[in-house]
Amino acid sequence: MTAAFDVETVRKAWEGYETPLVWGRYPVEHDPIRRYCHMVDDLNPRYLERGECPPVMVDYFASAGPWPPAELDIISLVRRIPTPGDRLVNLGHEFEWFRTARVGDRLGSRHRVLTVELRKTRLDPLSVWIRTGTTIVDGEQRIIAERINQIMVHRAAGDAARG
Amino acid sequence: MAEPQRCWEDVVAGDALDGFSLPLTMTRMVQQVSGTQDFYPVHHDSAFARDGGHADIFINTGFIRAALCRLATDWAGDAGFLKRLAFQMRRPHLRGDTIAVRGRVARKWRDGDNGAVELDVWIENPRDGVATPGSATVYLPSRTA
Repeated sequence: MTAAFDVETVRKAWEGYETPLVWGRYPVEHDPIRRYCHMVDDLNPRYLERGECPPVMVDYFASAGPWPPAELDIISLVRRIPTPGDRLVNLGHEFEWFRTARVGDRLGSRHRVLTVELRKTRLDPLSVWIRTGTTIVDGEQRIIAERINQIMVHRAAGDAARG
Repeated sequence: MAEPQRCWEDVVAGDALDGFSLPLTMTRMVQQVSGTQDFYPVHHDSAFARDGGHADIFINTGFIRAALCRLATDWAGDAGFLKRLAFQMRRPHLRGDTIAVRGRVARKWRDGDNGAVELDVWIENPRDGVATPGSATVYLPSRTA
């Protein structure tokens, strides 16, 4: 597919694509918050004792998680966009928050494909940059946060070296 | 004992945030997978990472944003609100690195009724220096509000 890859066709097919609103598999819970804080030695009692969801975890709770697979999660969406490679690297992230989520809240999200570009990187001259937008809402469909993500899809080193 | 709440009036451009360092041991990499539930192998399987052209496994987006969130929300205190966080992952932080998570006050302004502060935030590693530059906006309480 690498020789025939036509980014314009992919762009026309995918830019503007939007998923429906899908609810997270589980509500905001204490134990995932504890694990998340543990990895960066975060002792903030707002998160560990008072049931506040760390702002950067709202998309975690608005998703179905890694198991069982869910078709409308963001990685599944990126995987459906045709690209020469299948290796993923995130390059940038922007979050804006409007409300605080708490333990017990049910969160949901919808994703949209903003841009698809072919842009050379040191890993692969046929790297594809995919920018997505995600809206995260609570159970009353009030916006909790907006997220922009820039992901790059590239080929494995051996495939990229073959041109 | 809790720190006294930082107020918008207390903040001056150029102030440094209390940063912290984290050694990226293999245990920390395992905590990363547990904490983020991100099982993409480039973050825990060295052979997979090298096959993709990387020097080794590296920390993921979830870890990076958790570290920057800790930095900003520890500084903002109980009454602070993290309004915005943006960062670029220009170079990877590899297993074996000790990363430094740092920040400073860039500017402050009134955003409607909110006392807003923009922070420059970043993560360094010994090999690349600032590999993850970013910025954050925090709302702080005001003594006059």
